[in-house]
Amino acid sequence: MSQEINSTNQNPAGDLLVVENLTTTFQTARGALPAVGGVSFRLGANEILGVVGESGSGKTVLSRTIMGLQPRTNVEVGGSVLLDGHQIVGATDEDLRDIWGTKVAMIFQDPMTSLNPVTKIGKQIGESLQVRLGMNKAEAKARVIELLTLVGIPSPEERYDAYPTQLSGGMRQRVMIAIALACNPTLLLADEPTTGLDVTIQAQILNLLDELQLKMKMSVILVTHDLGVVATRTDRIIVMYAGRIVEMGTTKEVFRNHKMPYTRALLESTPRVSNPSHTRLQTIPGRPPNLLKLTEGCAFAPRCSRATEKCSQERPTLEPTGVDGHYFACWNPLEDQAAPVSIQTGTIKEIGEDNVRG
Amino acid sequence: MLKYFTKRLVALVLIITAISIGSFYMIHLLPGDLATVILGSGNTPENKKKLFAQLGLDKGLVHQYLTWMSHVLRGDLGKSYITNESINTSIAKALPIDLEMIVVSQIVAFAAAIPLAMKAAKKPNGLFDRISNGVTFGLLSVPSFIIVVYLVLIIAIKWQVPGTGPASFTRFPEWSWLFSDTGTFFTTLKDNLMSLLIPSLTLSIGSFVVYFRVLRSDLIATLQEEYITMARSKGLSRRRIMWRHAFRPSSVALLGTAGINIGGLIAGGFVVQYLLSIPGLGSLLIASITLQDYLVIQSTVFVVAVAVIVINFAVDFITTLVDPRIARD
Ligand SMILES: Nc1ncnc2c1ncn2[C@@H]1O[C@H](COP(=O)(O)OP(=O)(O)O)[C@@H](O)[C@H]1O
Ligand code: SF4
Ligand SMILES: [Mg+2]
Repeated sequence: MSQEINSTNQNPAGDLLVVENLTTTFQTARGALPAVGGVSFRLGANEILGVVGESGSGKTVLSRTIMGLQPRTNVEVGGSVLLDGHQIVGATDEDLRDIWGTKVAMIFQDPMTSLNPVTKIGKQIGESLQVRLGMNKAEAKARVIELLTLVGIPSPEERYDAYPTQLSGGMRQRVMIAIALACNPTLLLADEPTTGLDVTIQAQILNLLDELQLKMKMSVILVTHDLGVVATRTDRIIVMYAGRIVEMGTTKEVFRNHKMPYTRALLESTPRVSNPSHTRLQTIPGRPPNLLKLTEGCAFAPRCSRATEKCSQERPTLEPTGVDGHYFACWNPLEDQAAPVSIQTGTIKEIGEDNVRG
Repeated sequence: MLKYFTKRLVALVLIITAISIGSFYMIHLLPGDLATVILGSGNTPENKKKLFAQLGLDKGLVHQYLTWMSHVLRGDLGKSYITNESINTSIAKALPIDLEMIVVSQIVAFAAAIPLAMKAAKKPNGLFDRISNGVTFGLLSVPSFIIVVYLVLIIAIKWQVPGTGPASFTRFPEWSWLFSDTGTFFTTLKDNLMSLLIPSLTLSIGSFVVYFRVLRSDLIATLQEEYITMARSKGLSRRRIMWRHAFRPSSVALLGTAGINIGGLIAGGFVVQYLLSIPGLGSLLIASITLQDYLVIQSTVFVVAVAVIVINFAVDFITTLVDPRIARD
């Protein structure tokens, strides 16, 4: 089984990130748990990549492993992650400290638990500036005020002395973004940056990220379980299931011509404007597989309406469709779509075909 | 924040008032007759009446209490009925010994517990963690009067460390280095610390065990927090993450434990003082109980209780500095 991908290079200047056959396995009391089961992809400079999949599909573990930020114990990482020439796999915290924050930074999923509750937010943002960039106190404070303004926090001088519990969820997420951007990272990993925020705030935060990506010339990996979030904002999309990539391609191709039934199911479980309001969303029947008991076959088979006998015996490999670096892993791929699926995005506006990025 | 402290301060005053009533009334529950104690064979009803009038004991309880409190508030604890010595003087002589024992023992306990708990929490279930966890668990059940005996046997008798033997305890306290310029500073400070070695070490072991265990388990939990991973992702050193991001939130539990521990520490100090004949508050209290020296018992209990309350108040204050969430309502 080969997941070697060579033709997805979108950037003639060379890839910022090259991930090859990456595996992350947790040693648990009930056996080895392959949270990431052999993932390969590339990311160019200034590119925005969406990673989508249901909760539990390994998105968080994947993004943390890419950064080398997996737990320090009971975990085994295999394969290779080359970030701007730095090999992440096998490196120690001490090695990675030089690139954490400056080359690659992360926005964490839950702004409630990811900020230190006993430290003022100004200090939490300024800490990297002092420790990593060697600024003195006054310089750091001035820069923190700039950053707070940049991420749209009103009256930043006052907010500098606030503790996380004194801020709303949206404000805390903005603080998280300010922390991540403090040292001008080349690659920003945003792990569900808007999950748990209400819809208007979600749109604001996502728009802010878009804006900052352009301003600061970063590559972004935007992780989400919500296809609506990635539709208008990403160049390419990776669809994950049970720790593996099951479909990958430009945003346009994945929305229009997805081949994998799971991608279709994900799209159908995303809110659509064309449906009358209060229409029940279709949820994907069944539950995600138990990673401790993965079979030889396609992990989606128990939930798949197109499954055949072959599906439960042999795992499909990622195959190219021949269009724009579009890959899928399925024995019985979907036919070309008659009509593109339009879905509701975070900004609550119908997206026409032309609005899909890519 | 201000509102919180006003509330706490009012509570402090109320608690101290309650304690003063408690320690005043407690004496009246004790068996024994004051007149017999003071007058001995001369305890005739006539003499007794005279004595009580002299001491103000013929007045009602409320009157007696208010008289006592009015003196206490002016800083006058009165005189012993028996030795006629000023209680202020007795306590002023004894209290520094307790304070020094406690302060030194707490410095030792924290200085040992914090780095060792950090080392253990770095690798939960690692070799160091398992050994230290086992040893401290065992020590948890050893009372201070056993520890003190072993320390005397080892330090003073087996190793013959100079200045630590039984003779030194009666020389207690060597305060001259603080108050006068007779004698050279260092010899007396050294004498002071040497005679303090065994009693303070005894107290510190009990505190160390508790602090180590509380901090270790709290650190292990804190190090699992998402904000620790966040701190790692900023590229901070392990040392900085441990001190700035893990220890600060964890120290809230540690401080709370230390506050609760103070009462037990004073009691433990009394036991050690009794065993080693150290003339601290514990010895004063035991002696006054033996003599049925009511006013001294009452005053000592009151002073100790107030000290415990004030220390706890201070600990609360420090805790709110560490974790501002506590003071917010
Ligand atoms: N530290 C860990 N130890 C054991 N299993 C873990 C750990 N972290 C994540 N997992 C498992 O890895 C799988 C993927 O989790 P995650 O990456 O958080 O999913 P997602 O972010 O897509 O919701 C889940 O089954 C989860 O239980
Ligand atoms: S390989 Fe089979 S089971 Fe898996 S998605 Fe395709 S059709 Fe469904
Ligand atoms: Mg996640």
